[in-house]
Amino acid sequence: MNNTIDPERLRQRLADARAERLQASLQRRHRKEAVFRGLGLGAVCLALGFLAVLLFTIFSQGMSAFRSSHVQLTLEFDAQRLGDAGSERERLEQYQTWLDEALLRALDAPESRASAVRPLLSAAAVYQVRDRLEDVAARPGGRATLWVLASDEVDLIQTGVVDRAWPEAARSLSDQHLAWIDRLSEAELLERRYNRAFFTGADSREPEVAGIWGAVVGSFLTLVVTLALAFPVGVATAVYLEEFAPRNRLTDLIELNINNLAAVPSIIFGLLGLAIFINTLGMPRSAPLVGGLVLTLITLPTIIIATRSALRAVPNSLRDAATGMGASRLQVTLHHVLPMAMPGILTGTIIGLAQALGETAPLLMIGMVAFIANVPSGFADPATVLPVQIFIWSDSPERAFIAKTSAAIMVLLGFLAVMNLAAVLLRRRFEHRLK
Amino acid sequence: MNTLQLTVLLAGLAVLFFWLGRWRARQLARVQGGFKHLHSRPDYYGLVAALWVGLPSLLVLVIWWMLEDRVIAQIVLAALPEAMAPASAAQQELVLTRLRLINSGALLVPDGVHWQQATEQFRVLTERSQYGRQALVLALAVIAGALSWWRIRPAQAARTQIERLLHGFILLCTSLAVLTTAVIVLSVLFESLTFFQAVSPWTFLFGTQWSPQMAIRVEQIGASGAFGAVPLFVGTLMVAGIALVVAIPVGLMSAIYLSEYARPGVRDVLKPLLEVLAGIPTVVYGFFAALTMGPLVRDLFAGIGFDGVSPQSALAVGLVMGVMIIPVISSLSDDVIRAVPLSLRDASEGLGATRGETIRHVVLPAALPGIMGGILLATSRAIGETMIVLMAAGLAAHLTLNPLEAVTTVTVQIATLLIGDQAFDSPKTLAAFALGLLLFVTTLVLNLIALIIVRRYREQYD
Amino acid sequence: MVFLRRAEPPQSSSALAAASATQSSSGFLPGALVDRPRLSARDISVYYADVQAITNVSMDVAQHEILALIGPSGCGKTTLLRTFNRMNDSVRGCRVTGNVIFDGEPIYRKGVDPVALRARMGIVFQKPNPFPKSIYDNVAYGPRLHGLVDRQAELDEVVEASLQRTGLWNEVKDRLHKPALSLSGGQQQRLCIARTIAIAPEIILMDEPCSALDPIATARIESLMRELARNHSIIIVTHNMQQAARVSDRTAYFHEGHLIEIGTTDQIFTTPEQSLTEDYITGRYG
Repeated sequence: MNNTIDPERLRQRLADARAERLQASLQRRHRKEAVFRGLGLGAVCLALGFLAVLLFTIFSQGMSAFRSSHVQLTLEFDAQRLGDAGSERERLEQYQTWLDEALLRALDAPESRASAVRPLLSAAAVYQVRDRLEDVAARPGGRATLWVLASDEVDLIQTGVVDRAWPEAARSLSDQHLAWIDRLSEAELLERRYNRAFFTGADSREPEVAGIWGAVVGSFLTLVVTLALAFPVGVATAVYLEEFAPRNRLTDLIELNINNLAAVPSIIFGLLGLAIFINTLGMPRSAPLVGGLVLTLITLPTIIIATRSALRAVPNSLRDAATGMGASRLQVTLHHVLPMAMPGILTGTIIGLAQALGETAPLLMIGMVAFIANVPSGFADPATVLPVQIFIWSDSPERAFIAKTSAAIMVLLGFLAVMNLAAVLLRRRFEHRLK
Repeated sequence: MNTLQLTVLLAGLAVLFFWLGRWRARQLARVQGGFKHLHSRPDYYGLVAALWVGLPSLLVLVIWWMLEDRVIAQIVLAALPEAMAPASAAQQELVLTRLRLINSGALLVPDGVHWQQATEQFRVLTERSQYGRQALVLALAVIAGALSWWRIRPAQAARTQIERLLHGFILLCTSLAVLTTAVIVLSVLFESLTFFQAVSPWTFLFGTQWSPQMAIRVEQIGASGAFGAVPLFVGTLMVAGIALVVAIPVGLMSAIYLSEYARPGVRDVLKPLLEVLAGIPTVVYGFFAALTMGPLVRDLFAGIGFDGVSPQSALAVGLVMGVMIIPVISSLSDDVIRAVPLSLRDASEGLGATRGETIRHVVLPAALPGIMGGILLATSRAIGETMIVLMAAGLAAHLTLNPLEAVTTVTVQIATLLIGDQAFDSPKTLAAFALGLLLFVTTLVLNLIALIIVRRYREQYD
Repeated sequence: MVFLRRAEPPQSSSALAAASATQSSSGFLPGALVDRPRLSARDISVYYADVQAITNVSMDVAQHEILALIGPSGCGKTTLLRTFNRMNDSVRGCRVTGNVIFDGEPIYRKGVDPVALRARMGIVFQKPNPFPKSIYDNVAYGPRLHGLVDRQAELDEVVEASLQRTGLWNEVKDRLHKPALSLSGGQQQRLCIARTIAIAPEIILMDEPCSALDPIATARIESLMRELARNHSIIIVTHNMQQAARVSDRTAYFHEGHLIEIGTTDQIFTTPEQSLTEDYITGRYG
């Protein structure tokens, strides 16, 4: 840089340069601006587009699982033969025979063997008949018409997942079976009806009777434990940090530690649960109790952080006013600050529970991944939860489980949507109250 | 009387003593001439008595309940005759499970005099333990309650006592949050150390062979298993890297668009929609990656002439994971971008910069530390993500840098090594803890750096 | 003194009515127009959502003069200043009617690029707001943006000249690449002025540039303004009446979004015609 700059000449030169160049460069700069803005919009669209594709894929796959194929059969019982049957097993065999006979009649194929037509019906159909028609069967000359579950293979043909055009070897049902299916359809004896088993049953090896109720109850029990522990502990911790703790390095460290816990991979908590709760403390595997404990640890940071910000949003003037009336610090917190912050705290709790409801990996570690065909009835019963059920089904080789998995995901997303909606509404009320 | 009934009874006792305590406090006050002679309101005296009824007995109940099962098991097992004595821990567990099932009536008593004896002993012990527990807990509740009731004096600082207790509870809760970290470290560290006695840390960290499946027959090849974790690290980093390549530009540009360009109405709609991505459980992403994205990527590459792309390719998994962490980056970036003061934007626009130039030259450099923090947190998320990789990535570990091949990751191995495994002493299960330790330490470092950066950044503009 | 305004609303509003009457009778306030203006506001009104911040302001700015805008807080001075270079465009819900004529061209019209406009009309803000970059990069920001120079040496020249004109050169020449935020408040504000004049604007808008500074720094900036006025027209919003009296050639007084009186600084401060102006200047109000 030399010292002979003449500011006035330089200024003039700049002004000239600007007059010349600005117009020329402006077009380019505005084009760049449009591209930049377009990139931003594109990014948002890309992310939302993916969301749309994801949801569409799952919904279109899952819708079919809410209905399942049923065959209408007319069963003709013989009370005498039921009376002869001694053991429960023999009685079941008797029911199976009646079922086979009814199916053969419906197919109008008396020359076929029972074992040939059986793939059309679910293995659970015989239980269905026994449970629903026990009274009728015990009556002399009992006779009843019933929609019984078809097998999952029939359902796959009906929903078009398995293409009839495929070579026979690629299907599990033969051409003869397809012909029978057509005959039943024409006679209006084969129909896709509301799939009750899906909402009321527990897991099963047979896709057509596998249901989510067991997992829903498992999730509920687990979340009850989580809520019962995480809510009081989380709120108490937040209250301490926000209202009582001295501002020093230790508090700082605790805060950093909690923020870090919020970002620790959830599978690590699963390791902790396995090593401490199950191996050291000897708690039962696969139990909602242990699942709830692990999820408590995962949910705690969320609740603590949310509660702290809710407490911080309560104006200090309120604390001062109550303290001025002679209330102790604890009384101020319990009687004035906490009630005021409660909607905010509940919002955080709901969000934490929603997060816990979707958590899968840590629960695999503590054995909630086991095959459990019963609906759990207590906190120590073996159970599974909804997301783990999704994982188990998605791992199953049967094609019919794809639809089940998608449908279970739809149910899970439904629960999450309701919880998040509740959280949003609560938050709105909270903000309204603080205004 | 089961545990639930016992708890309800305890609660009833507590309520009773609450009334009694309050009544006594009122009586004492009346004798002395009014409530002003009481240290605290009468409710507090009732509360103290009620807590004395409830807390110690509950504590005893929980401890008894936790120990009962094991003590009975030990006694029964010790009494088993030589012929029936179980050899291994697994067999022991089997015997006990059978005994429990028999006791609950789910199983018939097997033949054999030993079984009958053991069953009888188990039943008697369980019954006695139940009676003992009930008697002890109830006695304790009544005695403690009566004593505290007896000791009620007008000068007693009941409110202070309650507040001290609450304060203690609050402190206990806070320490629990800290304890969690300590327990994680200890549990993972302890098992890892056992593992490192069998496998040297050097082999673990730098070995390139990973086949943790223990052979069934001794003479089988690879009977000892191989625990070189490098293929896992490479797989993890590759998947996380692909995820970040997707998530950083998309997340950052979304944040810029939403905070700088979108009108408030549009923003209010788009932002929550984008955050829905963060609310979808990872198992759903995993399902999508395994069933849709994997085959899609394979078919796309087959379409342009690349055959043999694995349906479990790192690319497919990384893409889906990238979408999952978009909201992590976008919402954190959105926060820090909005924290850049308006005066800086004014200065830039006042000099004739376009909106985009202002963002690129002023806002982003100023927000960079915060954005870096967000990226580090996202990295930590990507490395620790389990379900997507477990469902859509491979299981076999082979060392490759090709994103079109199947790779496996640290989290996948932790999960597969531990799912369904009951025995807890083989190097195979312990290896999972060593991997867990590594994962914890890595994410801890990433999180801490990120949190400290973000915090500094906040202070800068506060 | 808000109290006074509340106490005597009739006086205040009747004075306002009187002032408005003066304006509406002729269309322009006496002294609002000049020969060969650089910048002219014509019938400017500004609304924020439903609130009207500026009402029908018309006035001129002459070549190479310093025009001071004074008035009580919330009278719309800053809003008007930001209207001149369309800084209000990015404020949501802000609407402008009327027009501003710059070099014979209306700036509120389709096809006028605010970016090009701002390149010719610099603005300095109330609080010093250097970018969190080096001192050099702060000054070089504008020339780089608009591509005013081709070579590094030229850019160096522009930076040096701009810093010299603001009297900052000798203080910072050895640490040009240190962060601008390490400077003192007064230095930062002079840096912001240097940053503005580095693009050689024709008009410089200043929004209370000294309100965050101590008296010594204020004095330096004031003398800098007089120096700059040789080549630029300057419009300055100020709260400080001494400052307006010291530096400006003409002064405009605003009250509740209305332009009450405009004239040479001498005339406004010695013989104000409107009672509102007099009250404000004598310290009875505001």
